[in-house]
Amino acid sequence: MAMEDKIDFEELARETKILTGFTPAHEQLLIDAAPEIQPHLGAVTESFYAALHQLPKAQPFIEGRLESLKHTHRQWLESLFVGPFGADYTRAMYKVGMVHVKVKLPVEFMQGAGTMIQSELIEVSRKVYADNPQRMGDVIRAVNGVIGFSVTIMQESYQASSLVEELEKFLAITGMSRNLFNNLALAYEVK
Amino acid sequence: MRSDLLTNVLSDLNGASADIEASAIISTDGLMMAAQLPSGLDEDRVGAMGAAMLSLGDRTAQELSRGTLEQVLIKGDTGYVLMTHAGHEAVLSVLAKPEARLGLIFLDVKRAAEAVAKLV
Repeated sequence: MAMEDKIDFEELARETKILTGFTPAHEQLLIDAAPEIQPHLGAVTESFYAALHQLPKAQPFIEGRLESLKHTHRQWLESLFVGPFGADYTRAMYKVGMVHVKVKLPVEFMQGAGTMIQSELIEVSRKVYADNPQRMGDVIRAVNGVIGFSVTIMQESYQASSLVEELEKFLAITGMSRNLFNNLALAYEVK
Repeated sequence: MRSDLLTNVLSDLNGASADIEASAIISTDGLMMAAQLPSGLDEDRVGAMGAAMLSLGDRTAQELSRGTLEQVLIKGDTGYVLMTHAGHEAVLSVLAKPEARLGLIFLDVKRAAEAVAKLV
């Protein structure tokens, strides 16, 4: 059974929303803000990849794939203002974390990218709602919520996938079966 | 019942030598199948650790070109632990005293392992 098949994404979404303060009101605010924010998302993607271009360590992950990565990035940004943010969205974010482990993207890239995008979206909100401080504040809080929610899910799967990868390496090197490892771990659980 | 037969093998083994303090038959996945252990030893841990040691021993023998693993012997200052395959599905693990005559122990363990292999 694949790792992600064992997860209750509905429950993971629920718990992570509580943890990150991402409320139903925030979700609705984002959807309502879509017509005003979405025209600016292309620039956010361009700005994001322009920043990554300054990082030599990021180049191997981007070279030869820039346009497809920008396309995927743009699609994700748009989804932040469409919703819903339930099991399907959570599963998609979880898979992003797993893919990042598979391609050996350093975890700080994922965390830093989340912060970068958050800053860009806050700046967009600041400009779009310059005449409406109340709304500006509300949308910024919603942006904080959805980015926090998304990055937390990705980090959780990144950590879980990293552990699985390390375990697989250990089992391959030692020749130990997964069942034996599980029974060994069980035998040493605090009783 | 098979578990009784396995226990009988262990009783015979423990009785064969005063130097053998305890013995156990463990699945290759680390689950206890039969045991004659002193109190104070956790059966789950003995089982899982024994199977893990043999599994590592298999890999080490292979990596260091020592052929097919025959047994794993651990020597501590208060005695020995000897582990060997008992067929494809089981591991025989024996605890022996520090002054044990290993030649005889190896022979007794080999015979017991063969008996277990026929049962599992």
